[in-house]
Amino acid sequence: MNEFITITSQPAVCSYLQFMIFIPVAAGIVLFLVPEKYIRIKGILSVAVSLVTGYLTLALFSSAIRMVALDDLVAKSCMTLFGVNLLDGTSGFLTITTDNLSKLIIVFISLFSFLILLFSLAYIKQGRVKNYYPWFLITLGCSYGAVLADNLLLFLAFWGILGITLYKLIPGSDEESSATAKKTLILIGASDTILILGIAMLWRLTGSLSMNAISLPTDNILAVTAFVALLVGSFTKAGAFPFHTWVPDYSKDAPASSSAILPASLDKLLGIYFLARITTDLFIPGEWMRLLLLSIGVTTIITAVMMALVQHNYKKLLGYHAVSQVGYMITGFGLGSLIGIAAGLFHMINNAIYKSGLFLSAGCIEQRTGQENIDELGGLSKAMPITFAASLIFAMSISGIPPFNGFASKWMIYQGIIDFGAGPGIASKLWVLWLGLAVLGSALTLASFIKFIGGVFLGRRNTAFEKAKEVSPLMWLPMVMLALFCIFFGVFATNFIVPKLIMPVTGEFQFTGFWNSGLVSLLIIISIALGVIVYLAVSIKRFRTEDSFIGGERFHEKTGYPTPEFYKTIGEYRPLAWMYKKAEEKLFDIYDLSKHFVLWLSHKLSEAHTGVLPAYVIWVFAGLIIMLLIMI
Amino acid sequence: MMNPLIPLFVAVPLAGAFLIMILGRFIKHFDRVAASLVLLFLVIISLHAIVSSGGSTSVYKVGGWEAVNKIPIGIYMVMDGFSVIVLCIVNLIGLLSVIYSISYISRYTSENFFYSLFCLMVAGMNGVVLSGDLFNIFVFLEISAISSYALVAFGVEKDELEATFKYQVLGGVASFLILFGIGFIYWKTKTLNIADVRTVFSTGYDRNYYLLVQILLLSGFGLKAAIIPFHAWLPDAHSSAPSPISAMLSGVLIKAIGIYVIIRLFFNMFAISEGMAVLITTLGTLSMFIGVFLAVGQWDIKRLLAYHSISQMGYVVLSAGIGMILISREIRYEVAALAIAGSIFHLINHAAFKSLLFLNAGAIEYSTGTRDLKEMGGLSKTMPVTSGTSFVASLSISGIPPFNGFFSKLIIIIAAVMARFYLLAALAALVSIITLASFLKFQRYAFYNQDPDRKKTKGKEVPFPMLFSMIILGMICLLLSLLVIPGIREMILTPATDILMDPSRYTSQITGT
Repeated sequence: MNEFITITSQPAVCSYLQFMIFIPVAAGIVLFLVPEKYIRIKGILSVAVSLVTGYLTLALFSSAIRMVALDDLVAKSCMTLFGVNLLDGTSGFLTITTDNLSKLIIVFISLFSFLILLFSLAYIKQGRVKNYYPWFLITLGCSYGAVLADNLLLFLAFWGILGITLYKLIPGSDEESSATAKKTLILIGASDTILILGIAMLWRLTGSLSMNAISLPTDNILAVTAFVALLVGSFTKAGAFPFHTWVPDYSKDAPASSSAILPASLDKLLGIYFLARITTDLFIPGEWMRLLLLSIGVTTIITAVMMALVQHNYKKLLGYHAVSQVGYMITGFGLGSLIGIAAGLFHMINNAIYKSGLFLSAGCIEQRTGQENIDELGGLSKAMPITFAASLIFAMSISGIPPFNGFASKWMIYQGIIDFGAGPGIASKLWVLWLGLAVLGSALTLASFIKFIGGVFLGRRNTAFEKAKEVSPLMWLPMVMLALFCIFFGVFATNFIVPKLIMPVTGEFQFTGFWNSGLVSLLIIISIALGVIVYLAVSIKRFRTEDSFIGGERFHEKTGYPTPEFYKTIGEYRPLAWMYKKAEEKLFDIYDLSKHFVLWLSHKLSEAHTGVLPAYVIWVFAGLIIMLLIMI
Repeated sequence: MMNPLIPLFVAVPLAGAFLIMILGRFIKHFDRVAASLVLLFLVIISLHAIVSSGGSTSVYKVGGWEAVNKIPIGIYMVMDGFSVIVLCIVNLIGLLSVIYSISYISRYTSENFFYSLFCLMVAGMNGVVLSGDLFNIFVFLEISAISSYALVAFGVEKDELEATFKYQVLGGVASFLILFGIGFIYWKTKTLNIADVRTVFSTGYDRNYYLLVQILLLSGFGLKAAIIPFHAWLPDAHSSAPSPISAMLSGVLIKAIGIYVIIRLFFNMFAISEGMAVLITTLGTLSMFIGVFLAVGQWDIKRLLAYHSISQMGYVVLSAGIGMILISREIRYEVAALAIAGSIFHLINHAAFKSLLFLNAGAIEYSTGTRDLKEMGGLSKTMPVTSGTSFVASLSISGIPPFNGFFSKLIIIIAAVMARFYLLAALAALVSIITLASFLKFQRYAFYNQDPDRKKTKGKEVPFPMLFSMIILGMICLLLSLLVIPGIREMILTPATDILMDPSRYTSQITGT
């Protein structure tokens, strides 16, 4: 709590701070009352609300406030409303923290919600998801609330409401999507309950609920339990192993814009925001905790990307990547060094950009073709050039190809791991392992995105989709903007983005490796330009046409361009085949495992309830006698 | 201080019951109008009581018999911070159930019996809550229990009769145990007034005798409150009754004549001993844990809800037990206060969301004619209000913010951690997760998940009186969250907690010392 500035000193900014949370939630509640047939009007109103709050966040971002106590303000309005101060004694419960981390996150929340709302205007048709816009706006308001809250209980309330909105942003009117909605809220709700436990323990150990005031070393069993409980909350939200299993299902069954806003961007921002708070503010993680974080990080990267490789549904494929990328962020935070944390945060932002972009392009493909299976698609690049170009940029970003943003942040993570290797401790000794797996994960990501791009956009076009055409500008505009962000964040990573956006949060640090994103980009542009010159200089006509190269696999004429066929080989590789089979049986899904156990126990207990009255009477007297025997 | 309103809580519904029985035969619709007016009046005076009392204790001495030599004689009716809360929920849920019944019960014959028994049950519960002596607790308990036996059997089908038979037999065992315990107390102390019994016991007692009495009463009222292992009658009885009655039974009856009396006797009559406190906590934990596992596998909506009542009552007992353990060890009083406040808060919340859930189940049954989750699906389109209110109630019981159940579970878990019962806190959290799972199952199979082989869902939205009750209860579920705000908490929860924490306050009002 270094700079505690209260209401009186900065009245101009503070007077509207609470509106950032209040306006979207109130607007959302009002929109519930507007009938569904005016969905267009609802959409436009929502965009207007997101613009207003976006303006407020930008104003907050540029101000110098660090922390605001809203108690006085709320107490005053309470006095005028009810005549008595009902909130007397809540001191500290309504404190809002606006340090650089929160400011950074809320700006991106505003950005993504605005772009995705714009996309939804054309994408969400009446009857698709009931009350889409109201729940969207409540999501927006509660996300601000969760990021700005300093008090852990206030944070918990906002955080919990986000689970409901996640549940409500999926249609639920058929077998699969209702099962997914149920699974999602059970996992999220379970993690929230574990979070309550963690926060209660934290409160018990430190006597405080203010995120700013707590700093607990993980040196005893209680502190470790609290740390792990909070991690569970953060991991489930962000979608990290082993609590990630809702993300792929949700991506598959929810409308693409819902996946883009929650699992792809806001849940990542919030989950990793909370992870940042846990590892840097609330706790001082010990060596073993770092080891835990790093192992979970790399496990997440590898397992999710392996699952992504064998998917045929492109939305589910994207869902697995949404999990896999979280692994990099966790690895970054596991390192604990400044560059690691910076890399984690930077990767979080980059990932939210390209992942929401990918989901939006998935939405475009789905809208134009009505098909979710890669096997059935192909050759859409000519029909949908803008979508193709944007998707290509997103795919290259996520695969970590320079000069796009994904490369910039992954490179920082690699550098962080190498630096970390110089340190003492068991986690540092294993640095080669972390590095190797992280790089391997990146390579596999590339492999699976070749499948996505190749399978959907390249090759021969399926005759069923001859008439497919580009989506409306309202839908491609947000994608193009996100793609531009991908390029911008990549090219100016070392010169502008990291020093201006990330370093205020983490503090100054030096890049160790010799790498300048501007220079690298320049070299790439030069080489591309040279290529174009060569291409133009040598006559265009001297081409030869060959059948598509598909990695030496046998060519199936009838399936056209069977990109996914190639990936079957992975699934057939002996040790992996077994793993995939078990994964398909949901043996690794924490949700299904616990479900089986609970139902088994439930069945056992129900068997005792035979409905025979004498047995029940015997229970009563047995209970009475046992109590007497124990007590007397 | 004599409060002339106190006897009205019993007298008005009793009078209503008899009038409905007699006049209901001759005047059309007299029954439903009279019952609604009686309950409305009770709601108004109980809300007046909670606002005006400000947490003070008021006593009504029936017949004006003053204490002689500081020994109370005659019948005392006591209204303090705790009983006024229970009065409020009993009458409020009662009013909403009666309004709901106007449409729901019209399918049955002899409606005036229904309303008459309903008023009788409410009179019994109000009597139990207000009684200051053990014998009147027993009398009023029997009034409400016997009317509830009849109400459970109101459908007069095979299932109902079987359920009510089990309920009566086990209820009879409970009454026997309670009467036995009361007899033991009277034998030694020569008094039945709760405050006076405490005074007499404070001069010394035989330990084994004292434990025997405590355990007899705990088992007896535990049977009424359906604490495991005394729970076996509840799933049958609560699921077979007509839905507004299920809402009353699960929402308030098990609290008013079970949990309320246990908490009242063990805090205000007996001196809290650590052994009993641990025993009560164990029973609460068992109920909470086993109840939820029994519930999660059910496919009959009302059975599922009934098992959840056991589990949720487990929370209340567990939290009160934690408070008792801390008081008996004479450590961390502020945590004990927190635990007791959490227990009372959860009691109130459970009344709201569980009765709403039973009303929802009734609406589904009314509309589709089935209680089996496997035969439903896609009702969110045809029954939007039922779907919305049941969503609110499901999230409340599962402890999801911003609904009331979240805050009470939060307080209970925090209190358990602060009292350093980490295992109990973890179990409470686990049970909360499984509760969530089983209610999302209910949501999924009833309201979403369109059944593919049925082209058009049968259900349509229920009549207005039923919708009215459900909407009001849904709003109450949301508004009860406000009890966590300190200003409101001071007004409602703190007086109740104080009277339980400090038994001398209770005693002094009655014996006049």
